[in-house]
Amino acid sequence: MTTAVGSGGGDTVDGDGDDTAEGGAGDTAEGGADDAGTERDPLRAFDTGRWVGVTGLAIALVGIGVVLRQPGTVLVGAAGVGYSVYARIGEAEEATLAVSRAVSDRTPEPGDELTVTVRARNTGDEPCLDLRLVDGVPPGLEVIDGPARVATALRPGTDVRLEYTVRASRGEHEWETMTAITRNPSGSRERTTDITTPTRIACTPELSAGSDLPLRDLTTMSNGRVATDVGGSGVEFYATREYRRGDPLKRVDWNRRARTGELATLDLREERAATVILLIDARTEAYVAPTRDADTAVEASVEAAGQAFTALLAAGDRVGIAVVGPRDCWLPPGTGTEHTVRGRETLATDPALAPTPPEDSFYRSLWFRRFQRRIPGNAQVLLFSPLADEYPAALARRLDAYGHLVTVLSPDATVATGGRGAGSGSGTSGPGSETTEPSAETTEPGRLLVALERRERLRDLRKAGIRVMEWDDRSFPVAVANANTRWSR
Amino acid sequence: MSTVGDQGADAGGSERDTRPPVSAVVTSLGAAALAALAGTLAAPIGGGVVALSLVAFAAGSLTGSARVLSWGAGIGVVGIAVAAGLGGAVEPLLVAAIALAVAWDVGDHGLSVGEHVGREARTRQNVAVHAGSSLLVGTLSAAVVYGSYLAAAGGQPVTAVALLLFGAVVLASAFR
Repeated sequence: MTTAVGSGGGDTVDGDGDDTAEGGAGDTAEGGADDAGTERDPLRAFDTGRWVGVTGLAIALVGIGVVLRQPGTVLVGAAGVGYSVYARIGEAEEATLAVSRAVSDRTPEPGDELTVTVRARNTGDEPCLDLRLVDGVPPGLEVIDGPARVATALRPGTDVRLEYTVRASRGEHEWETMTAITRNPSGSRERTTDITTPTRIACTPELSAGSDLPLRDLTTMSNGRVATDVGGSGVEFYATREYRRGDPLKRVDWNRRARTGELATLDLREERAATVILLIDARTEAYVAPTRDADTAVEASVEAAGQAFTALLAAGDRVGIAVVGPRDCWLPPGTGTEHTVRGRETLATDPALAPTPPEDSFYRSLWFRRFQRRIPGNAQVLLFSPLADEYPAALARRLDAYGHLVTVLSPDATVATGGRGAGSGSGTSGPGSETTEPSAETTEPGRLLVALERRERLRDLRKAGIRVMEWDDRSFPVAVANANTRWSR
Repeated sequence: MSTVGDQGADAGGSERDTRPPVSAVVTSLGAAALAALAGTLAAPIGGGVVALSLVAFAAGSLTGSARVLSWGAGIGVVGIAVAAGLGGAVEPLLVAAIALAVAWDVGDHGLSVGEHVGREARTRQNVAVHAGSSLLVGTLSAAVVYGSYLAAAGGQPVTAVALLLFGAVVLASAFR
């Protein structure tokens, strides 16, 4: 079903039953929009300078012809004057268009292909002989079929239909203003008109269930699943100690009582819940990708954070989300269904995790002070960062020094994944990267250098006693499974 | 490892083909060929020079350079002037002039369309309308000029045309 999410007269005038106008989607949809067209903001017309010199050339030709008494030259020059008149008539009028935009699905899944249909009708009285339309596709969406642009000529009352396909990506996307460029017939004057037709789609991925994430043993007092070095009630043997009055009879070591006659109590390893903050690096520096059209490391981080989020919540831990970046994002640690939904929303649509880099500048000390105020003292930090520069590594060490146990999870953006098969292979070898040879794709010197620098950072972090896990190309679960077998508690 | 910050404003970041649309290039080169042919009919040497402008138009459309197109138009005008100087007939000269103007106009228009919407977008109607109006203007003005030339053929053609030109210039200034 096609849902018209655009505004403007187009919806009401076209009247071709398949478009259902969403109430309140646009403010120009109210009465009177029929002939006025969609809300627009015309810029001043300017000279394109196309025909500059044609008058001079024509007169020069005539002059030469008169002097040399050649009728041919005179006639050609005189005909040229016709063009110089042509260049001066007409003005580039503002584009009076009624624009409607329909998207095939307003709440797509990431990776879905959406068909966008734009219809622009000339509501003015004059024909528009030269009209170029450029639709304001949101920066986070990739156009995969047909440019979102068209050049045409419109008589009054006729319309042009523009259809293109975009691939949905995580986040909330709003179409920017459509640009209409008009020219007068000769093209000597040009005017740009911005046409506002807001359309919004929200693409919220389902959080895929991740595998059990290894946590470090910094916990809260609540029961959970992280085995601690605290004796108490549990299932795993921890130690024995002298019986104290009040110990539960269940935990008395009756074997020893039978052997020696002394009462002793079994201490079992207590399992407690942890508070975990998923800290995602979304500074401009983190928006790196192996190739120009690949997903950025932020995208990979968010996906992995989603898996970690569900896995940790399912295991009973309290999970919060924070973003390292200029735009503020903080989801306090919590549990429960509502928290799951909130976390999903945050990861999917929070502007701080937008698919395109932020434009504001990032103030480290301000950010750190704010983060430090918010983070509970006993919280662990899972830092998702491509480690493309020095700051995340320094941040991890600093948080570690403040007593938060830090695990760095790093999507590898330095590996150009030539094929999916090769990708998963290098993914499993990721965690032991110190001994891994650079893969065949990392042949460009710059890429190689960046990869080496990053490896050095990982090594330094490991030396400082910080757990590091890296993965590339969607092999996060594999890397987690690997790390589970490798890391001892 | 490349930062993807600069992809924003463009349509989703994929590379856009900003070359002029094929229809514009073909129309432009066709008109230029016609200009060369008409020029050759008037005077072969002049036609040869006009044919050079065809090469310039092709190069300009290929490299996306409006300057090269302008040079092409200039060469064409010189070619027509040469053909006229060699005593070419008036009719083929006028045809060559109109064809040359259309060739340059459509070629230059194609460049701007390519820059704005790209080669893959639908542009045929836009280019056709532009080429049509350019041809119409050329034909009309040539018809007026040629008509007055014929009417004044017995008397002083050059004076008549000069007067006509004076009128046209006054008309042109009136539009400013």
